[in-house]
Amino acid sequence: MATTPMTYSPSQGAERRQKQQQMRRMSQELDWKRSDGRSFHQCRPACLQTGATNAASGSAYAEFGATKVIVSVFGPRESKKAMMYSDIGRLNCNVSFTTFATPIRGQGSDNKEYSAMLHKALEGAVILESFPKTTVDVFALVLESGGGDLPVIISCASLALADAGIMMYDLVSSVSVSCFGKNIVIDPTAEEEACQDGSLMIACMPARNEVTQLTLTGQWSTAKTNEAMELCMDACSKLASIMRSCLKKSANLSS
Amino acid sequence: MVGLSEGEKHFIRGGIAQDLRSDGRKRLQFRSISVETGVIPQANGSARVRLGATDVIASIKAELGKPSILRPDKGKVSIFVDCSPTAAPMFEGRGGEELSNDLSVALQRCLLGGTSGAGAGIDLSSLIIVDGKVCWDLYIDGLVISSDGNLLDALAAAIKVALSNTGIPKVSVLGASSDEQPDVDVSDEEFLQFDTSGVPVIVTLTKVGRHYIVDATSEEESQMSSAISVSVNRRGQICGLTKRGGAGLDPSVVLDMISVANSVSQQLITVLDSEIAAAEASEE
Repeated sequence: MATTPMTYSPSQGAERRQKQQQMRRMSQELDWKRSDGRSFHQCRPACLQTGATNAASGSAYAEFGATKVIVSVFGPRESKKAMMYSDIGRLNCNVSFTTFATPIRGQGSDNKEYSAMLHKALEGAVILESFPKTTVDVFALVLESGGGDLPVIISCASLALADAGIMMYDLVSSVSVSCFGKNIVIDPTAEEEACQDGSLMIACMPARNEVTQLTLTGQWSTAKTNEAMELCMDACSKLASIMRSCLKKSANLSS
Repeated sequence: MVGLSEGEKHFIRGGIAQDLRSDGRKRLQFRSISVETGVIPQANGSARVRLGATDVIASIKAELGKPSILRPDKGKVSIFVDCSPTAAPMFEGRGGEELSNDLSVALQRCLLGGTSGAGAGIDLSSLIIVDGKVCWDLYIDGLVISSDGNLLDALAAAIKVALSNTGIPKVSVLGASSDEQPDVDVSDEEFLQFDTSGVPVIVTLTKVGRHYIVDATSEEESQMSSAISVSVNRRGQICGLTKRGGAGLDPSVVLDMISVANSVSQQLITVLDSEIAAAEASEE
C-alpha cells in the first residue's frame, strides 16, 4: 500500500546518494581528485563581461564553471513615493533564480536570504551619499546554479555597479571555500557544496583590505579559520584584478 | 528605529570609548540574564530568556517524519523565528518579516552546521528512529516578545536552554519489515533527554567607533558600524559566523573579534549552565 512512490524519480535519488557517499569517502582522505580536475586551491576560470543587457544603466555577466549569473543595475532613479525622505541613497538588491537553474526544477528559490546577503555585501562599498533621495536597483538572475552562487552574484553585481557608473569605494570581490575533514577546498562546485562539512564565504574590497561580508558554517578551529580567510582574501584580490581588467577593456572599446 | 539626539549619541559613543556604558556596564559585560524553563506545556521543551529588557521564548516540538533521501541517517531540524508586532510597532507586516528571516537564517547557520550534517550543534543522528524510514522532525520556534537589542544572542541562549529542557518520547519499533513503513509506538511516559553539551552559544560583538561591545542595547545598536555574531561551543570551536552592518572590517580586526568572542562565550556558557540548573531545580 505504501510502496507507491509519491514522485516519479526514486532511482535518481538513489543514484545521487551513492555519488554523494562516494564523494564523502573520498573527502575523508587527504588526497583526492576534484571532479573537474582542479587542485584544492585552484579557482574555476572566471569569465566576466560587462554590458550584458541594453536597457540597464549597467550590467554584467559572469560565468565561473557551470555557474552563470547576469546582473542588471538600474538607476539612480527616484525612490518610490511611499519611501520617506533620505539624505543618502538606497540600494535595493534582488536575487532570483531561473526555474531551470537547478537540477530539480524551481529549487533555486530556496535561497531566499541571498537578496539580503547581497545587500549586506555591497552596502559598505557603495558611496550612498553620492545619490541622495534616489534608489539604485540591483537585480541578479542566476541562469545556472553550479556552486558558489552567492560569491559569483556578489562579484558580478559589483562589476555591474561599476559599469553603471555608481560611485564605489572599491570593487567587491567574493570567494567561498568548503571544508572537508582536514581539507580546505576553494571555489566549490554544487556537487562539492552538497556534502561539505562547513563553508566560509568572504566578500571584500581588496584595495582597501576590508571585509564587507563574512559568513561561516560548520565547525572550525581558530587556526583553520585563519588559513581559510587568508586563502579567500588572496583569491579575492586576484579576482578583483581580473574584474578591473574587464572594466578597462570595455572602457577602451567604447572610447 | 531609535530616535536619539546628537547629545545622546555622543554620550553613548563616549561611554563606550571609556569602557563605561550608559547602563554602567563594561564593554565585555552582559546584562543580567534570567532563565525560565517549561513555559509552554504543549511543547516538548521550552524556555524563556530575558537579557535586560530583551525577552524571548523558544519552543521545541518534535514530530515523527521521514528522513530526506540524501541523508537517510539523520533527523531534520528546522528553525523559525517570529518577531511579533507586540514587541515593537515596526515588526508589523513586512518589517518584522525581514528581521525574522535574518534571524532564522543566522540561527540555522550557527546551529545546523554544514550541508553534510557535520559540525551541527544538535546531534542529528540521535533523532533517527529507523534508518531511512522514520525520524524525528524537530521544529524550533523562537518568539521575540520584547526587543531591546541583541536578539540573536538571546534567541540562541533560549534555544540552548529549551533543548536541555526537551524530552523526546521514547519510541519502540513494532513491525520491522524491510520495505514498508514500520509501525512505531510512541510512549507517553518515558522521555529521552537530549545531549546538549555540543549546542553552541552566540556572542555578538558590536563595533562602535574603534571598540567592540557585547550584548548591545537597541540604543547602542543604532550607533554600530558593523557587528559580528560568532557561535562558539564548549570546546572553543567556532560553529558559525555572520556579519551585519555595512562598514567594512580589516581582516585582522575580524580575527581579533573572533578571539574576543571566543573568550566571552566561555563565560556565557558557564552562566547559562548554572541558570539551567537553577531553573530546573525550581521547576521540580
